[in-house]
Amino acid sequence: MAILEVDGLRKEYGDFVAVEGSSFDIERGEVFGVVGPNGAGKTTTLKMLAGLIEPTAGTAVVAGHTPGEPAMQRRLGFLPEESPLYEEMTAIDYLEFFADLYDVPRDVARERIHDSLDRLDLEHRDRKIGNMSKGMQRKVAIARALVNDPNVLIFDEPASGLDPLTTNYIIEFTEELSDEGKTIVFSAHNLFHVESICDRIVIMNDGRIVARGTLEEIRDAHGGTEYHVYATEDGSEGLTVAGSPIDVSHENGQVCHVVGDMRAVDAIRETVEAAGGRVTDIQTKTPSLEDIFLEVASEPVEAET
Amino acid sequence: MSAGRLRGIVSRTARIARWEVARSAGTVDRKTALILVVMVAAIGTAGFSVADEGLGLEREIYTVGVDEDSRYYDVAVDSEQFRPISIEDVTTDGDGTAGTIAVRDEASVDVVVTRDGRIGHLGDNGAAAYDAFRESVESYNGKLMDEEADQAAAYPVLVSIEYQQRDLGGATDSGAGDGAGDGDGDGDGDGDGTDSGDGTNGGSGDGTGGNTDGSTGDESGADESGTDGTGGSGTDDGDGRTQVPNVGDGSTSTTAPDRPGSISPPFPFESLVLAFLFVVPMNFVIQAYGSTIMDERVKRRGELLLVSPASSREIVAGKTLPYLLGLVGVVVAISWVIEGGPIAVAAALPIALLFLGATFVGAMLARSFKELTFVTVTISVFLTTYTFIPAVFADVNAIALISPLTLVVMDLQGEAVRLGEYLFSTGPFYLGGAVCFLLGIGVYREEDMFAQKPIPAKIVDAIANRIRGRRSVFVLPILFIPFVFASQLLAVALLFVVPQAIAVPLIIVLAATVEEIAKSVHVYAGFARSRFEPSLRTAAMLGAFSGAGFFVGEKLTHVVQFVGLPDLPVGTAAFGPAVSDEPLILAVVFLAPLALHVVTAVISALGASRSRLGYVGGLIAAILGHAAYNLGVITLVA
Repeated sequence: MAILEVDGLRKEYGDFVAVEGSSFDIERGEVFGVVGPNGAGKTTTLKMLAGLIEPTAGTAVVAGHTPGEPAMQRRLGFLPEESPLYEEMTAIDYLEFFADLYDVPRDVARERIHDSLDRLDLEHRDRKIGNMSKGMQRKVAIARALVNDPNVLIFDEPASGLDPLTTNYIIEFTEELSDEGKTIVFSAHNLFHVESICDRIVIMNDGRIVARGTLEEIRDAHGGTEYHVYATEDGSEGLTVAGSPIDVSHENGQVCHVVGDMRAVDAIRETVEAAGGRVTDIQTKTPSLEDIFLEVASEPVEAET
Repeated sequence: MSAGRLRGIVSRTARIARWEVARSAGTVDRKTALILVVMVAAIGTAGFSVADEGLGLEREIYTVGVDEDSRYYDVAVDSEQFRPISIEDVTTDGDGTAGTIAVRDEASVDVVVTRDGRIGHLGDNGAAAYDAFRESVESYNGKLMDEEADQAAAYPVLVSIEYQQRDLGGATDSGAGDGAGDGDGDGDGDGDGTDSGDGTNGGSGDGTGGNTDGSTGDESGADESGTDGTGGSGTDDGDGRTQVPNVGDGSTSTTAPDRPGSISPPFPFESLVLAFLFVVPMNFVIQAYGSTIMDERVKRRGELLLVSPASSREIVAGKTLPYLLGLVGVVVAISWVIEGGPIAVAAALPIALLFLGATFVGAMLARSFKELTFVTVTISVFLTTYTFIPAVFADVNAIALISPLTLVVMDLQGEAVRLGEYLFSTGPFYLGGAVCFLLGIGVYREEDMFAQKPIPAKIVDAIANRIRGRRSVFVLPILFIPFVFASQLLAVALLFVVPQAIAVPLIIVLAATVEEIAKSVHVYAGFARSRFEPSLRTAAMLGAFSGAGFFVGEKLTHVVQFVGLPDLPVGTAAFGPAVSDEPLILAVVFLAPLALHVVTAVISALGASRSRLGYVGGLIAAILGHAAYNLGVITLVA
């Protein structure tokens, strides 16, 4: 059952189109990744979902409400890319203020705040936020997104600019939240993190969604698994795969044939052996999300099929 | 709105307000707190001093050697400038008379009064001290005269002075002068010496009764419409013109006889200084308020409040409330200290509101703290000038009423303030402040708060965000009326001392410019931000809506009729002539401006629908047409 439905979302700034007709659904309890190069429209999309930016066209429904409605804001936890905290306040004062604003009873808020900070392993809670390290500030920002115990969390670059240790901590914490049944919309430049925690992904480029689905589905749609066949002779002569000639290169005195079909590997082997040569090695290459991302980001943008 | 929803709004607003106080308190370090305490103490001391007995800067600055038996001893004691010491302390020999006296070398004395009544001075300050002593003697003698039971004996010749409004056309009535010169001795000679003959008469001033017979005649009242002090009370002066209303009842003009040397034009210095005390803290508070609004923007800190259940309005109200309440507290405290009444507080409140409103919208438009500094200084200078300068004329001219500080001055002088006067003075401030907040809240959203756009583009955004169809095109010019009104009043205030031949054409063009901008800027914003289809038909329709809306709003400015400002030549130039009683003329006066506003607004709208340059062209054409209309009307009426 979709907890978040987006249909034809579009945002224009004058003549510039930041987001063009985005549509997707997110299931309850899902971790949904939004990736893309800088300026792809990720943050604009997330802010439209959070009710911060009004779409020029299209609709979004979050937990049954339109973004911006107070009822929807109560069910949402938003963590922006930067941590816009009030540095002159202590972490506890800051979090209690936001809990108060979300009408969380004081005793419940206190317990929830300390629980979040315990799980995030944040010490020095009575220290002024301005005197905290960047990692600690980020943890305070995450705790703030949780003060209202939201159903839906929108995390925009939650680990941006943090050291690897803190980053891992935050990624693990996000996984824990997912295990608790929270729906999480997650955006990150580090595709390894997206790959490791997201159930489904959309890749955006120039304001459009150019790929979507599970990682496997995206891999299949963008080349899938490749087989690199190394041989002493060129075995591609006279062979085609799906009507195209086989991609051949020379490496260390050997001929490397790149194909995406196991049947083509057999055909190459036969051709090579017929020419008096032999196949020396066959390697299987699975593209990472980063490979797909780089491929997609470098291509001219076309509407997804 | 349901009670529950209202409770929610109030509750969230109060939480943000409480938090703003707690957060701001965290930003104030000890040094800043100390500076604030010193500042408050300084303002308080100044207020107390002025309220109590003036600044006291000249207290006992001179020393006078005088015997206690001398008749000048009481003069020295009475004057705060002099510290009397015994003549024996400063002389070495002789009997203290002029011929025998010798002052000791080490004696620190500025003036010496000998036992035979001669007065001399010595030292660097001697000459100035001598002059001051002479003035003290005159002042002391004046007091003795005032205490004299037989006033006719004390003041055998009474000259009543009446200050008249200045006629900028050059044909200045000379009531006071004539009165003095023509004193025909009609023998009224009322006991309190306040009789001013025919009082409100602007020119003849023939009623300055002389009285040398010592009688305390009682015929001063019945047949005399005169009022003491500054001008009449709005009664007819005989030639059909309504006189400028009495701004205050002229209580600064003494009703007791005095020496000619002590007579000066009415200038409520003390009340003015005290009234100014209300504005001083506002200038400081807006710095803190502007910073807190800017703080939300420069570090995107406001983003998290925007994503909370609190609306923009609640956030702004919550952040503003502590500063507004703080200013109200300061205003009440100042009022209590200087013994002002509720009117002083009620008059200062809209000033505080406009200070905060203007600062809010300024802080929403500024792109950096540097720009914010410029904005707040501009607001400080402009609003302080706007409120203070007109108040200087509190006892002289109706124009003073454009500033609520004039009401404070009146209140401090114990004068009654009429409802019309209060509305006239404070209306533009209340409405101006409200519109500033309305425009600022329009851009209190993610897309505008954190964007680095040029200020004019943000102004256009702020206005465009308030456009919701044709109805808003009708309503917005009504909301702009306070600014139009205030701009025109300011123009009148600044130019009323300039010769009429220059002031009137200038005001005609300025008034037309301000009005045409108010009628067209939102239409331009709508076209510029694609709120409307840029067709000629749409432009014509929007122009008509806007012109009609402005016409409705303009009618509200007829509150000036309550106080008679249009009877000033420059007031007529800005606001048009006073409405006639003739039905036909009334209909023309009513409908002609409607036609004017619609036509000129359509011209601007047609230009605005094309491009920015087109808008400028259309606006200029509209201004010229409007100015020509104004000129024609004034020529016809005059």
